[in-house]
Amino acid sequence: MASDPMGSQLRRILSIFFSLSIILPLSSPSPTMHNNNWAVLVCTSRFWFNYRHMANTLSLYRTVKRLGIPDERIILMLADDMACNARNNYPAQVFNNENHQLNLYGDNVEVDYRGYEVTVENFLRVLTGRHEASVPRSKHLLSDEGSHILLYMTGHGGNEFLKFQDTEELQSHDLADAVKQMKEKNRFKELLIMVDTCQAATLFSQLQSPGVVTIGSSMKGENSYSHHLDPDVGVSVVDRFTFYTLAFFERLDMYSNASLNSLFTSYDPTLLMSTAYYRTDLYERPLNMVPVTNFFGSVMKTIPTDSAYPGFLVAHASEYAAISAETETARVVLEDEADHSKTYDQSEKGLQHTLDEWLKLLEGKLGVKDPEVLVAYGLGSMVLLLTISTWLSS
Amino acid sequence: MADDTSAAAGTSTETGAGTGSNLRTTKPGTKRLFLTVSVLISFLLGAPFLLKSTEIHRSPLPSAAISSLSDHLHSNPPSFPCHFQAIFLSPFKPSDSSLSLSVAERIRAQLSAQSCGNCNFTVSVTVDSGSSCRDEGDAASAACLWECGGGGLVDAIEGRDDQGIDELLLSAVNERTGGCAGRVYSVFVMEGRDERVVIGKHRHAWMVLKDLDDSTSVVSMIGTVFGDYFMRGGVEKGEYIPVGSDGNVVLSFSLLNSNPSDWIYDWDFQRTGEVLLAPVLEALAPVANITMESQVLYHAPKSSISYWDEKLEAYVVNTRDLPFFVNSNEWHLDTSLSASGRSKVLQFVVYVPSASECPLYIRTPEGEMSKTNAFISPMWGGVAIWNPPGCSMQSQGIHIVRDVLPPQELEKIIEIFIGQLRLLFGLNSNYVEPSPIFKVLASEKGFTNWELDLLYRQHTCFNLLSSLSTLQSLSTLVESLPRMIVMDEIGKQVELSLEAANLAERNISLGINNASALSSIRARALAEDAFFHPSIMSISYSSMEHYFAIYMPFFAPVSLHVLLAAVKEVKRYFAERSKYLTFRASKLKSS
Repeated sequence: MASDPMGSQLRRILSIFFSLSIILPLSSPSPTMHNNNWAVLVCTSRFWFNYRHMANTLSLYRTVKRLGIPDERIILMLADDMACNARNNYPAQVFNNENHQLNLYGDNVEVDYRGYEVTVENFLRVLTGRHEASVPRSKHLLSDEGSHILLYMTGHGGNEFLKFQDTEELQSHDLADAVKQMKEKNRFKELLIMVDTCQAATLFSQLQSPGVVTIGSSMKGENSYSHHLDPDVGVSVVDRFTFYTLAFFERLDMYSNASLNSLFTSYDPTLLMSTAYYRTDLYERPLNMVPVTNFFGSVMKTIPTDSAYPGFLVAHASEYAAISAETETARVVLEDEADHSKTYDQSEKGLQHTLDEWLKLLEGKLGVKDPEVLVAYGLGSMVLLLTISTWLSS
Repeated sequence: MADDTSAAAGTSTETGAGTGSNLRTTKPGTKRLFLTVSVLISFLLGAPFLLKSTEIHRSPLPSAAISSLSDHLHSNPPSFPCHFQAIFLSPFKPSDSSLSLSVAERIRAQLSAQSCGNCNFTVSVTVDSGSSCRDEGDAASAACLWECGGGGLVDAIEGRDDQGIDELLLSAVNERTGGCAGRVYSVFVMEGRDERVVIGKHRHAWMVLKDLDDSTSVVSMIGTVFGDYFMRGGVEKGEYIPVGSDGNVVLSFSLLNSNPSDWIYDWDFQRTGEVLLAPVLEALAPVANITMESQVLYHAPKSSISYWDEKLEAYVVNTRDLPFFVNSNEWHLDTSLSASGRSKVLQFVVYVPSASECPLYIRTPEGEMSKTNAFISPMWGGVAIWNPPGCSMQSQGIHIVRDVLPPQELEKIIEIFIGQLRLLFGLNSNYVEPSPIFKVLASEKGFTNWELDLLYRQHTCFNLLSSLSTLQSLSTLVESLPRMIVMDEIGKQVELSLEAANLAERNISLGINNASALSSIRARALAEDAFFHPSIMSISYSSMEHYFAIYMPFFAPVSLHVLLAAVKEVKRYFAERSKYLTFRASKLKSS
């Protein structure tokens, strides 16, 4: 515990200053190229009556796949308890429209986090990349500094929070913190966050990182509504915001270049029964110049190879035919001398330091190495002291 | 307590004639005082044990060392010492005074923006033509000066082929530049009939020029060789670092059979590929730890459209359709077993088209067929299309052809892959010479020694800066969360990373490029491991309010009572003592 608040403040300011001065000019000597697109689609609800949230997420999954993002670059988090639910009249089928034209759960649905794995902790681990060593590669968000990431979240939300599976909440400052860490580690070039919950726009009110554009289905104090009820299935099957988003994308294919601005302005507040609010203050490019396929589709930058590496085979043959005495330059790897200048923070004086000193003294005197044992000894001696004094005073 | 006071009062009434409540005849008892004060003291003694056992374990991070090193690297970026020497093997009289200065100026004039990994170069010029031996140049390069006596080289070079000349000059350089053979780039200039400029595969080049009198053009050509080739690798575009953050790269080679009902091809990649690629992987070892794997896939059609071109008599895919060629839904390429979470996987795909689109070629915007029939996607990998022989004459295939890719074809494809690997690492797949007399020799390692030096420099610089910025972010993060547990492992990794970064920096200044590259990879891997340690989750640390909320209900009521009791006891004891003392004093006075 730093008992020197002034010193720690100063240190903090200095370190922030240093980190800014390092990070800013060195983050990219030239602007990085956009190489790939990722999608993180999260459905935060479970239970039968939240059918529409899973249908939302699966519809967007299908759209994004159709426009070209492969499964290996999609992280899909679903509770996945709808298709085989006992209450489902159409087993193994999930629809997003009462005309039942499209079975979203039909083929090639690869869910990365399902059931009880959809937690706030796992979600933040996906975003920040801090997984345990045993987590398989397909569950990692392996984006780099040239990636555009689409983050879509749907479920029940409120003022500055999003409810995860009825047991926990994701707060807006947690999300902002995770995005800040992602930006520091250059895990994305641009990020589009799309949230379809009640009071969705409050979820990204704390964001500060550059390169992020966000859109929420409703503003503070407004609810987001479902689109229609399917009398066969018995529950609402899609939300309004997602429904109109899908309607926009049905007209597009891989080759089209409709802009993000046309998507954002296509939402009609009277049809949505809420105001779709989007935030562009952290994003430099003007929205009408950004094609939607920059986030929703897949762009592979390709460069035709003009030539092979000629002469490689000849060189290989000649090199291994004649044994050439190539003198290897002597590798002199210097050993690091033991000049470990331990310049750790010496400013943790005060209570902590004296406590440590005193405990070290005790440990030395008693010859006890393990602090747990020392604590046990201490407690024992306290009890002993008390019993002695009680006996003496009786 | 009530009975005690009555007992005390009783004592006073018993033993002596106390004149009231402010006198007592016996010394007040100390048992109660002792009891209460001992309880209080035991609480006070136990408090440090409590604090120690509930403290957050935070392994100390050397933040000062981190910020000082990153500051140092930021103010003086790592500069790699390169020494360029031009050796004239024929008599040469320069028109202006200092040739080395003009060469240095020419090199500097072509230097574009300061990119990471640039050379801090020194130039020296030696004229060693039998009779005379004159050298000039920077004094710093005195240790690596060319020893004169190479006058017989010109004759030895006559009539040899390029490879032979290269080896001959290599042995000459090793012999005559002392111990600096690995860090000096040389250009040999001689007079001769047919003009040539050849850049060898080690660290030297040679120029045969018709006349050496035009010293400006000579200087300009020497400057081109040094600046464009040896220092910058002949590239203008930015650098690509396709290396995973743990220093591993997995090259994944896949053979895709688009439609197995037409034909099925297999390949013997293990033998051919591994033999051909082994020297390449070894040469790139200081840049990344590269492993290879291969697979054959079936039912993997492409997802872009091809159409029949009458002029070329083949099916073509336009260059602008290439972004949609890779069919990620059907091509299950990412099935690597050896790639861990942070390695980089580069995919190299051989696509065998089906009968309905065979032969398949890539058409350039100029309307020509692509020479290699291949393309790359930066940071992803490359695709090469291979058409099975005789497919244009294939009618409805009644029987399925099962065949193995012929080894010569496989070798040609691997040549294309080497070119693509060079592109993925930021170099040219082949050199477009500025004039017809230039020639660059190819190396069996896929990269010439001077290109490898360039890669080592770029990667070392990038890794160092990246690891320092990661460490800096980590230490700011840890400081901003004062009650987050920092495990010992993280502290250890940070320490080792700093050590490796310091070692790399020291090796850079000494010019030992491959050792510095290795240390820089280690520094970056450790820094990333520390930053991405799974225990750094901000939602799982206990705040100060949490700590108080747990312990207050236990200790606050009890400590209140103990304190009050002790205070009350002490006050009572001193009050009784003063009463006794006044009694004693009055007795003394009366007696």
